[in-house]
Amino acid sequence: MTQRSLAVVACAAVVAVLNTVDVARQARLGVADAETWVAGAAVYLALGVAVVIGRWPERRRTALLMLAWLLAGVVADAGLDWPDSRPAVTVWLLAAALQPSLYAHMVLSYPTGRVRDRSERGFLVVAYSVTLLWQLAPALFADFHCPGCSPHVPSLLFVGQVNLTVLGKVFSGLIIGLGLAFLVLVARRLRGSSPAARRTLLPLVLAAAFACAEFIVLRAASLSDWSQAFGVLNWIDLANLLVVPSAVLAGLMTIRRHRGPLGDLVIELRAARPDQIEPALARAVGDPSLELALWLPEEQRFVDCDGAPATVERDAPGRAVTLVGSEDEPVAAIVHDAGLVEQRALLEAAGSAASLAFQNARLQATLRAQLADLRASRARIVAAGDAERKRVERDLHDGAQQRLLAAGLALQLLAADRGNGELLAEAQAELQSALRELRELARGIHPAILTDGGLPAAVRSLVDRAPVPVTVDVPDGRYPEPVESAAYFVVSEALANVAKHAHARSAAVSVMRDNGRLVVQVRDDGRGGADDQSGTGLRGLSDRVGALNGDLTVSSAPGAGTTVRAEIPCGS
Amino acid sequence: MRILIADDSALIRDGLAHVLPGHGFEVAGSVADLPALLAAVPATEPDVALIDIRMPPTFTDEGITGARTIRSRFPSVGVIVLSQHVDADYALTLLKDDPIRTGYLLKDRITDIRTLASAIDRVALGETVVDPELVNLLLGRPATRSRLDELTAREREIIALLAEGLTDRGIGERLWLTPKTVETHVRHILSKLGLAADSLHNRRVLAVLAYLREAGARPAQR
Repeated sequence: MTQRSLAVVACAAVVAVLNTVDVARQARLGVADAETWVAGAAVYLALGVAVVIGRWPERRRTALLMLAWLLAGVVADAGLDWPDSRPAVTVWLLAAALQPSLYAHMVLSYPTGRVRDRSERGFLVVAYSVTLLWQLAPALFADFHCPGCSPHVPSLLFVGQVNLTVLGKVFSGLIIGLGLAFLVLVARRLRGSSPAARRTLLPLVLAAAFACAEFIVLRAASLSDWSQAFGVLNWIDLANLLVVPSAVLAGLMTIRRHRGPLGDLVIELRAARPDQIEPALARAVGDPSLELALWLPEEQRFVDCDGAPATVERDAPGRAVTLVGSEDEPVAAIVHDAGLVEQRALLEAAGSAASLAFQNARLQATLRAQLADLRASRARIVAAGDAERKRVERDLHDGAQQRLLAAGLALQLLAADRGNGELLAEAQAELQSALRELRELARGIHPAILTDGGLPAAVRSLVDRAPVPVTVDVPDGRYPEPVESAAYFVVSEALANVAKHAHARSAAVSVMRDNGRLVVQVRDDGRGGADDQSGTGLRGLSDRVGALNGDLTVSSAPGAGTTVRAEIPCGS
Repeated sequence: MRILIADDSALIRDGLAHVLPGHGFEVAGSVADLPALLAAVPATEPDVALIDIRMPPTFTDEGITGARTIRSRFPSVGVIVLSQHVDADYALTLLKDDPIRTGYLLKDRITDIRTLASAIDRVALGETVVDPELVNLLLGRPATRSRLDELTAREREIIALLAEGLTDRGIGERLWLTPKTVETHVRHILSKLGLAADSLHNRRVLAVLAYLREAGARPAQR
């Protein structure tokens, strides 16, 4: 047992002794009634709960606040046992003043024992000051006067009769205001919490809302001199004494209950795919916003389950990070709702349960990341190749062709001057065939019509050159450049094969869009028997289509013609 | 006859400016891009504009855009697009709205000035000119050939010239036939192919081109 949990036990012992003394004294004086016995028992119960939760480090502050609240209650009760003692009455007044503020403090800081923001802190400062200062004044200076409840007792530093009736009403109003503010803060806490944190909070918050409502009614009753309500309200107050420890215990139970799904988690993870780990964990700890990041030791970075880079922000508002594995060499990081910090033990247990699955997922994530890199680099290579083809085509037209044309023009000037017809005509014919070859070369490298007119025009232009009749079904529409290029070269290569190998009488080209994919199909009625693994043409196509994450299939049973089919993702 | 030259290559502009005057043409001006071309037409009042298909700013098919704009804004000006592409799509895009006074020629033709000169003359007269190489491409396909089986050898010669945009008289001169004979042949050809006889030769050119293009994509009925 640590020193701190000893402190909890010691405090509890002090309160227990005071409580016992108080009850015994009332019994001896013969003023003990049902209320006395029930309240005394309730205090023991609450002390038990405080000691139990005080053993849990994250709950120790809550336990101490609970003890402080009980102490104030017991002291207030005990103070009334000596109604003729000035110090006793003064202590009673102060304890009674502190009790509601301590209660509010305990609820607002539940379950960590720490308030979380400035409005909550501000509220507590105001609440403590108002209650304390207000009671301090009559305790020190005024003549305490409570008709019908106790004999007349002079205050500690009696200076004269002060009429507190009006001030008392103002005070009651202030207290009601504070009570309402407390309700607002509690509602805000509840709304801003994750479902998991809410489960822990709910019992105590409900109890507190109830107690606060009762507190407000009590003050309102004293404002309106509705004194017959006091008897009932005292019992309600007493009920609260029983409700608080039960609520704290209930909150604890929800956490304990959530340890149950851990067993399920272990079983679930045994057969889980990497993308199922995150939802399984989220279910197990009850935080749907939970995110999982896997650590790649070789690359010293986090990735998500798909292998995409992930950032793990330790200081994001409302979020917290639990590392699985060691701090230096984590296996994974669980990013979750900050409210789950209190359930760190649960998270850590869930994390280690999932550890093997993490390792597995990490391997897969690495693989996927590498695959994605590979695919991206393949696409880059194809794109670079296409850009280069385009450049060469343009250079041929803008450079070599223009010069040849200019030379042709010059030859004609020469012909007009010299009249050496035959030789010049020969040179001119040579030039013409050079130009024709250049043109076909440029077209083969990259067809300008694909850029200018898109896939339909470019496919028609291929069909115009096909040796067999080809029916065409290509709807109008433009696609991303790499997609158009790949589709064009599929048709081009397939029609070239029809010409060379197929012995076909006709062919058909169709292009259609299906579910985000461009489906390009070239079918002939030739002898079939083509093999997509033989010949660099089809292999190259397969690579080109694959680089865009598409598929190329060739079906070519002997005697049944050949069908080349490419499916290329083309965005929306 | 006044010629306006539009080509982004200074070599070609200068070459043409040297060669054309020797064949009875006057160079009215030369420009290097599309906006300059459109500005130069009203300023220089040419009879025919010779336009490179690929020019700044985008180096794609400005020539065709420019030619069609000129035809719609200045109907008396003829246009010839000089192209490096043997692609029917470009030619059909150029001709589809208004085939009058319009030509699609391969750029190679500027090294054969007589062919170029005759194309300019024909465009200036209001005819449509289509490069023979493009016509040959469309006619040369086996499917087209088999669909033209019904035609006589002479008729097949004539349909090529029809597609190139020649008038009955032009065909007669080329083949040493009387216009009357040509007219009879043309009537036969059009009825065999199921095409309507159109008195306007420019539209006839488009119809024949479209037919030839289509023919290659349909399997022969046997």
